Amino acid sequence: MVNDREYKRKKDLLFLLTKKEITLKYKRTVLGIFWSLLNPILLAIVLFIAFKVFMRIKMENYTFFFLSALFPWNWFSASVTMSTGTLIGNVNLIKKIRFPRHFLVLATILGQFVNFIFALPIIIGFSCFYGKGPGINWLITVPILIVIQFFVTTGICLVISIVNAYFRDMEHIIGVVVSMLFWMTPIIYPLDIVPEAYRIFLILNPLTYLITAWRDIFMSNAIDWGNIGISLGSSLIFLLFGILIFQRLGKRLDEVI
Amino acid sequence: MNDALEIEDVWKKFPMRRDRPGFKEFLLNLPKFVNRNYNSNFWALKGVSFKVKQGECLGIIGKNGAGKSTLLSLILGTIYPTKGNIKVSQKITPLLELGAGFHPDLTGRENIIINGVLLGLTKDEVMERMEDIVAFSEIREFIDMPVRTYSSGMYLRLAFSVAINTDPELLLIDEILSVGDEAFQKKSKDALIGLIKEGVTTILASHNMAAIKDICNRVIWLDKGEIRAEGEPEKVVEEYLRCSG
Repeated sequence: MVNDREYKRKKDLLFLLTKKEITLKYKRTVLGIFWSLLNPILLAIVLFIAFKVFMRIKMENYTFFFLSALFPWNWFSASVTMSTGTLIGNVNLIKKIRFPRHFLVLATILGQFVNFIFALPIIIGFSCFYGKGPGINWLITVPILIVIQFFVTTGICLVISIVNAYFRDMEHIIGVVVSMLFWMTPIIYPLDIVPEAYRIFLILNPLTYLITAWRDIFMSNAIDWGNIGISLGSSLIFLLFGILIFQRLGKRLDEVI
Repeated sequence: MNDALEIEDVWKKFPMRRDRPGFKEFLLNLPKFVNRNYNSNFWALKGVSFKVKQGECLGIIGKNGAGKSTLLSLILGTIYPTKGNIKVSQKITPLLELGAGFHPDLTGRENIIINGVLLGLTKDEVMERMEDIVAFSEIREFIDMPVRTYSSGMYLRLAFSVAINTDPELLLIDEILSVGDEAFQKKSKDALIGLIKEGVTTILASHNMAAIKDICNRVIWLDKGEIRAEGEPEKVVEEYLRCSG
């Protein structure tokens, strides 16, 4: 009974922190939550003009090709970038009230996840138009991939948020590393155009498998269990590592923030 | 009566770092930084032990920097002791800084909900108490406005109202008896005394000696991280005033 209540309270807390994250993002805007839908549409238009009109890339369905990878990537990169400020931006809360601190990190990621959900209709639209349409495979794979991406993002964000409390250099490093990772993951180009000699860098990047799995399902309604397995395995390692570091460094957090 | 709180030989040190060095300085002094002794330590608490029974009201007095706030943070659990043990057997409601969890861009009502849950209620329980909280704060007209538009008095009223309506078992209070104007100060003090009479365990750190004598059953005098005296409020406060006077 007591545990039930405590569980419910934790659930409420996580929900409220996430809601706060989202509400605050759109407070004092006219369009409010519509920005979550409008942003990906505008992004799609900008990139369409850049790649298809100006650069005239000849690949078939190229816009769909990169959007199917870009939207999941954006969920990841925005969470990672924002996690640098998650702990140091809530000093008051952390010092004066006791609650599970990792909820702040989870709320950041869930807040960004909402943006990803809003981008899904665009993907579904493309899929109906250019691809095979959302099939039964989507129902199996999309939830699995969401969980995997949630794990890997959580692991990384836990580390970044806590390390940034000790070394503020982290947020500068992260800016560079995230854009480097963007180009080291096959998002706006396919893996096989990379020269064989350099392909190893992409193959060693666990995000390559996750992003490829997203693209497989969105573009061709296909499931590659190999990709999904590698993604899941690596995401669990990241998650475990993140939890360990977070717990370890969390003990002395009060001395640095 | 059972113990609500047991503190056993608690020590707490803080590293005394100078402001973080620039990069050049860091490289030049690298050997020094690697050597751990470079950072000297400040012992905020040096072997403090005491117990608090359920329903008791303990006052903590002492000069600035004596370790009062550190002690309260340790009990709350937002910081960890360097050495020693702290056993807490009741739900803690901190009143260390009023409105610590408030966000200026959220409305009063939104802040009530989030703060209530942070302080240990479920969302449903906060909703049930919403009416009481708003009524106690006396700022009903402004409750759906963002708290950044509040005056500091209104802000404190709201924060106090949330905190005392969360069914506290063990209240930690750090110098917040001066909430708002005269009328509200009296009201908040009465509410606190009401809670204490109902059997809520309270630990109160304050410089307000009159309040300490009024409310507390027992007082601890902290001096430079150690307990200098402990006992009857009247006696300890008198001794404290004599020494610091």
